[in-house]
Amino acid sequence: MKITALLVLKCDSRSDGSDPVILANATDVNHFGYFQRVTVRQFIVFVGRTVAKRTPPDQRHSVQHEEYKVHSYNRNGLCVVGFMDDHYPVRSAFSVLNKVIDEYQKCFGETWRNIQADSTQPWPYLNEALTKFQDPGEADNLLKIQRELDETKIILHKTIDSVLERGEKLDSLVEKSSDLSAASQMFYKQAKKTNQCCTIL
Amino acid sequence: MMNVKSGQGSSYRERTQEFSSIAERLRKSFPSLNAGVSANNVGVGVGAVAKRTSVFDDPTVEIQELTAVIKQDITALNAAVVDLQLVCNSQNGSESISSDTTTHSTTVVDNLKNRLMGATKEFKEVLTMRTENLKVHESRRQLFSTSASKEPANPFARQHPLANRSTANASTSPPPWVKNSSSSSPLFPRKQADGESQPLIQQQQQMVPLQDSYMQSRAEALHNVESTIHELGNIFTQLATMVSQQGELAIRIDENMEDTLANVEGAQGQLMRYLNGISSNRWLMIKIFFVLIAFLMIFLFFVA
Repeated sequence: MKITALLVLKCDSRSDGSDPVILANATDVNHFGYFQRVTVRQFIVFVGRTVAKRTPPDQRHSVQHEEYKVHSYNRNGLCVVGFMDDHYPVRSAFSVLNKVIDEYQKCFGETWRNIQADSTQPWPYLNEALTKFQDPGEADNLLKIQRELDETKIILHKTIDSVLERGEKLDSLVEKSSDLSAASQMFYKQAKKTNQCCTIL
Repeated sequence: MMNVKSGQGSSYRERTQEFSSIAERLRKSFPSLNAGVSANNVGVGVGAVAKRTSVFDDPTVEIQELTAVIKQDITALNAAVVDLQLVCNSQNGSESISSDTTTHSTTVVDNLKNRLMGATKEFKEVLTMRTENLKVHESRRQLFSTSASKEPANPFARQHPLANRSTANASTSPPPWVKNSSSSSPLFPRKQADGESQPLIQQQQQMVPLQDSYMQSRAEALHNVESTIHELGNIFTQLATMVSQQGELAIRIDENMEDTLANVEGAQGQLMRYLNGISSNRWLMIKIFFVLIAFLMIFLFFVA
């Protein structure tokens, strides 16, 4: 379950001829060989541009490309594209994209509309997002809640098991204590009997 | 004695006669029960007719007539069976009769009721199948009519925002949907002029399922979370019950131990008294002295 890249682009839906402009880019290509990394980055940029161009405004899109799923979310001309592998759940992918786009709009407001060329400045939030959201549970609150609930259920099952054991032990204790009280009663009776019987003798 | 017996025997005979008359009456209504069987066959016929119906040639009128006839028959049979049951109960309640008669009458009534229930169930199944067929026809009609005219597509696309608004979780989803519908509406006046809008509309219809599946998956995840929480609540309740039960056990153990303590203390008191009794020498010497005196007395009495 991996995110390979996250891109933020500006999509111009009016003029379809121009390619979308890259606003921010974060890639994690460490699992490729050293010499392939540059090619992979260019490939990511190209595919990201194409997918963003094809995504109409206010739409979410998922495309399968070789062994990657490319998810894109276009909101109001600002498009965010994510390259995830097949195991990454689709919902979490879109919640990651949602978060990234919200953060971008919070950071940069509307200034991105004027950018005309690919910006090469790295945006640190995107890089940390890339590393943080490798685990889909981080991005998606629902998944996190589901996981925690499952853990809680397991813990509760264990608790119930131990409570049952405690019940068994308490049962045996009840048995033993009732045996003890019967034995002590017999003991008392015997003592009374021996005491009363031999006053004469 | 004999009179009473014969009287009872005659009353038995009377009652069995009464019962057999009622059974006769019901047997006469057996033709209506046979009509019930035939109504069942008619119901099967209705089922066959309902199955074979096509979109254009459905025999709605026939089906409705047959349905009405079958319903009337079933209500009449139901009334007859209820009457029989009332008679049976009044018979059972009035005098003391043998258990055989009661079991016989109750078995007959139960048998008839079961058969009536079976027939009603089959009838209901036929009716549900008919409604399902109707639904299938309607949907097929809609499918074919959407390709013929684009009119239903717009309300189709508009219905989705309304449906998804209720299930949407994120705050961002309603605005895209509103924008989607507003962007689709200006397309429609241009429909006749613009041939390119057709693939766009189809594309939007394709994207509607994608957003739909996204929303559906979110809704499903929420449902899962809710059911998990519900289960957790259940588990907690069970846990509380078990712990309270075990608390009672602990109280019992406590009581037992207190009993044991009291017993042992009492026994210890007794033993202490006994110890005091046998440890003090004076009492012992007096006892020995008395034993000796007694022995001497007996010896003296026997010898002298």
